[in-house]
Amino acid sequence: MRISLFNVTATIEHGCRGFQKLGSSSFQGETARLLGAFSQIRAASGPSKGMLPGPYPQTPEERAAAAKKYNMRVEDYEPIPDNGEGYGDYPQLPDRSQHERDPWYSWDHPDLRRNWGEPIHWDFDMFIRNRVDTSPSPVAWHTMCKHLFGFVGFMLLMFYLGEKFPSYQPVAPKQYPYSNLHLERGEDPEKQPEEVKHFNI
Amino acid sequence: MGAHLARRYITETETEPDPAKPFGFDPEFGFGERKEREMVASQAQMNLAQVPVLQRDYCAHHLIKLMKCKRDNWPNFLACKHERHDWDYCEHQDYVMRMKEYERERRLQMRKKRVEEAQAA
Repeated sequence: MRISLFNVTATIEHGCRGFQKLGSSSFQGETARLLGAFSQIRAASGPSKGMLPGPYPQTPEERAAAAKKYNMRVEDYEPIPDNGEGYGDYPQLPDRSQHERDPWYSWDHPDLRRNWGEPIHWDFDMFIRNRVDTSPSPVAWHTMCKHLFGFVGFMLLMFYLGEKFPSYQPVAPKQYPYSNLHLERGEDPEKQPEEVKHFNI
Repeated sequence: MGAHLARRYITETETEPDPAKPFGFDPEFGFGERKEREMVASQAQMNLAQVPVLQRDYCAHHLIKLMKCKRDNWPNFLACKHERHDWDYCEHQDYVMRMKEYERERRLQMRKKRVEEAQAA
């Protein structure tokens, strides 16, 4: 009797201590690690084993079960193709960012533009409204490219022609005294500059 | 306004002068007697007045007078109208001379071409 009581109390004590530690830490991983030492105890938080992703579905029944798990219709559910990268049975959702969703519809989470229970894209953290935007451009992409490169190309061509055929006033170069300001321009004072004569006209 | 450019690049590409290249004809050619341009301000005077190098041309004496007038009359920035006009007029005459030199060069080039064509014919 005493021994069995001792076992029970020990278990409860261990359990209490485990729950105390659970109260202080908020990470589920840490909880699992801490509670892993006590195999009789499991936290109530976190997804249950049935809610976590599983292996790639092979049979139609597995497909249906996976669709139900991800809260999708069986017709809509399409797993990510199994190419060895380890996606398992996670669904392939369209690569559309949250920018493209209706801003005026009353979403459950307006900032994320998502309703409760909706399947989450694999890259949902990339597609939030602060990050990658896949919404269509106002004008077709090829039109934008044509306009930009056409304009830049035209400007480059015109600048090149401007270098080739410069525009100038029909005047002779300006005449400076003292042999074209030989000393003022910092040339060698010993060297005799060539004689430059300027005339009135 | 752009006739010289049309001549230079399209119609008379050989004879229209290029101001970037030096003009090759003898300065006395076609003149009976030509007066040399007179430089009034000396190099020492221009140095003392600290005239910028690009403004040390044949009108520098007017510019030095203007600078002195402005320095003496500051803050009255409307004071030196006469000196400014003298300097501007000198610069204007210098520019007109540049235009005349260009035109002279152009006419000499055309004459040279005519002479060559007459000799070839």
